[in-house]
Amino acid sequence: MEFLTNWLAFMPVFAAPLVLAALGLIINERAGILNLGAEGIMLCGALIGIISYIELGESSALGFIFGSLAGVILGFVFGFLVVVLRTNQVVTGITFVILGSGLTGLMGIPWVNKAVSGITPIYIPHLTDIPIIGRFLFGQDILVYVTIIFVVFVWLFLYRTRTGLELRAVGENPQAADANGINVEAYRLLAATIGGAFIGLSGAYLALAMAKIFVLDMTQGRGWIAIALVIFARWMPWRAIIGGALFGGIEALIPRLKATGVPIPQYYLEMAPYLATLAVLIYAALRLRSGQDAPKALGIPYVREDRK
Amino acid sequence: MISISLNFIRRRRLTIEVRQRISLGLHVSILLGALFFGIGVCIAILLGRGVELSSIYEEFIVFTFFDSAGISSVIVESIPLVLVGLAAAVAFRVNFWNIGIEGQMFMGAIGASVVALFDIGPEILRLPIMFIFAAIFGIFWASGPAILKVRLNVNEVISTLLLNYIAYYFVLNQLFGPWKDPRDKFPHGEQYDIAERLPAIGWEQVHYGVAVAAFSFIVVWWIIERSRFGISSRFVGVNPKMALAVGLPVSTIVAGSAMASGSIAGAAGFVIAAATEYRLTFTMAAGYGFSGIVIAFLAGNRPITTVIVAFLMGSLFVAGESMKVFYSLPDALVGLIQAIIVLSVTASEFFVRYRLRLASFGDT
Repeated sequence: MEFLTNWLAFMPVFAAPLVLAALGLIINERAGILNLGAEGIMLCGALIGIISYIELGESSALGFIFGSLAGVILGFVFGFLVVVLRTNQVVTGITFVILGSGLTGLMGIPWVNKAVSGITPIYIPHLTDIPIIGRFLFGQDILVYVTIIFVVFVWLFLYRTRTGLELRAVGENPQAADANGINVEAYRLLAATIGGAFIGLSGAYLALAMAKIFVLDMTQGRGWIAIALVIFARWMPWRAIIGGALFGGIEALIPRLKATGVPIPQYYLEMAPYLATLAVLIYAALRLRSGQDAPKALGIPYVREDRK
Repeated sequence: MISISLNFIRRRRLTIEVRQRISLGLHVSILLGALFFGIGVCIAILLGRGVELSSIYEEFIVFTFFDSAGISSVIVESIPLVLVGLAAAVAFRVNFWNIGIEGQMFMGAIGASVVALFDIGPEILRLPIMFIFAAIFGIFWASGPAILKVRLNVNEVISTLLLNYIAYYFVLNQLFGPWKDPRDKFPHGEQYDIAERLPAIGWEQVHYGVAVAAFSFIVVWWIIERSRFGISSRFVGVNPKMALAVGLPVSTIVAGSAMASGSIAGAAGFVIAAATEYRLTFTMAAGYGFSGIVIAFLAGNRPITTVIVAFLMGSLFVAGESMKVFYSLPDALVGLIQAIIVLSVTASEFFVRYRLRLASFGDT
C-alpha cells in the first residue's frame, strides 16, 4: 500500500518533463519540422533554469521562465538553420544534442552538482491526505497541473484555431498551403521557436523539480524518449499524457524497486526506460495504419524554388 | 523568395535563386569561409576561457603536425576515428542514420573480451578471432534497427540511439558484476594477455590497429567505389523510390549497409579494447559516435576523404586532450568544437546551392 501510494505520488514528476518536451515536439512536427536536438535543448533549459534559480533569489518561477527562454533561443536557431538555410534536419538535430551537452559542460561548471530546494509540492488539507490517490492527485507541484493545462491549450490551438489549422497544413502539404497564401517558412520558424520553449521548460523542470540539481548530461536520453513518445502519441497532445504516464510510471518505479530490495540487478533496472521506449516504437509500428498519422511533410524541407 | 521580415528593405527585397552550377573556386571558398568561421568561433570560446592564442597555435599546429611524438599520437588517435567515420559513411550513404555507433563499439569490445576472457582459439589466432567476434557482435547490434527499419519503418535514429543506452548499461552490469577485474576489484574488465593485445609496429606508440583501419578502408573503398553493391547503394541513397522502381533490392541494400556499418563500429571497439585500454571499460566509446557522424558528414561519405578528415579530427582529439589537462577544460570541449564546425559547414551549403540577389519590385 505504502509502495503504491509512493509510486503514484512520484509518477507525475517523472511524467511531466516528458509530456512538456513531447508537446513542444508535437508543435514542431505538426509544422513538418523534425527536431532531434530535443536532448540538447533540454540540457540548456536545465542549466539556465538552475543558474536563474540560484542567481536570481531562488525563484522557481524565474528558473522556469529563463529555462524556456533558453529553449526559445535554441529553437529559433534550429528553425533558422533548417527552415531558412535548409540544412539537413537529422544532421542539425544530432549536432544540437552535442552542442547542448558541450555548451552546458563548458559554461555550467560553477553551477554543476549544487543541490537546490527547487519547487515544492502543494498541500491541500484533507484532499492531499486521501489514502493512495491523495498525493497523486492533490500533492503535486504547480507545474504538473500547468502541464495539463498546456496540453489542453496546445490541443485547442492546433485543432480549434485558424492559426493551428494553417500550421498543420504546413506540415501536411506545404505546396498547397503556400498556394493558399500561407507563409510556410514563417509558420515553421514559429513552430520551431514555440516548440523550443516547451522543450526548454521541460529541461528546467528536470533540474528544478525532479532532480533539484544540475548534473552534466542529466537528461539521460529523455529528449529521445520524448521523440519516441510523440510517435506513440500519434502526434496528438492528449495522448502524450498517456505516454508520459507510461514512461513516468516506469521511471518512478526504478527507485521504488531499488528501495524494496527486489533482487533485480540495478543496471537492468536502469535499462528499463530505454527497453520500454523501443517496445513502444515497435508497438506503434505494428499498429494497423500507423504511419498514416504522421504529418506528411515531416522532415521534408520546403523550397518553393525547387518546386517541380 | 524569403518573405520573412526582409520586406522592410524599401522597394527592394532579397530573393534567392537556385544556382544552376557553381564554379569550383567559389565552392571551395564558401567551404573554407565556413571552416574559418567555425574555427574562429571555437578560438573565441577558448580565448574566453582564458586559453592563450599562442598555446592554441602550439597545441593544434606545432605539436600535432610538426613533432614526431605528436604526429604519432595523432595517428594513434585517428585509428578508431577512421573506423567510426567509415562506419557512419557506409550507413549514411543509404540514408540509414546510424546513431548507434557507440553501442556497436561496446558490443565489439564485448565480443573481443569474450574471446580474451575465455581464451577461445589458439594464441596465435587469438587476435583475428577477437576481430571477427567484434565484427559479428557489431553486426548483431545493428541488425535489430536495420530489420525494424526495412520491415516496420521504425525510425532508426531513435532505435539505434536507444540501443546505445542499453549496451552501456549492459557493460556496466558486467563490469560491476561478473566481469569485474579480479585483481584490483575495479569496475573494468580483466586485463588482456599479451597475445590478446595489438602489438606496436615499432615507431613511437603506433600499433597494429593501423592495419585494421587500413584493411577496413580498402574493403570499404572497394565496395563503395568499385563493386556493384556500392553503385546500387549510391542509387538507393540518392533516390530510393526510383531504385525500387527499377527493381533494386532496396531493403537488402539498406539493411546490408546498416549491418556493414555495425561491423566496422564493432572493429573500432575491438581496436580500442585491444590496443589502447587492453580491457573492456565503460568509458571507451565516449564521444566516438558523434565523431563518426561528423567525420562522415564532413567527408561527404567518401572513403578517401573520410580518412583525411579522421586524421584532422585525430589532431583535434590530441590537442583537445592536452588543452583539457592544462586549462582544466571539460570533456565536452571536443564535442562542442565539432558541433560548431558542423553547423557552420552545413549552413554554408545554402550558399553553394542558392544565390542571394537584391531584386527591385517589378522584377520577376
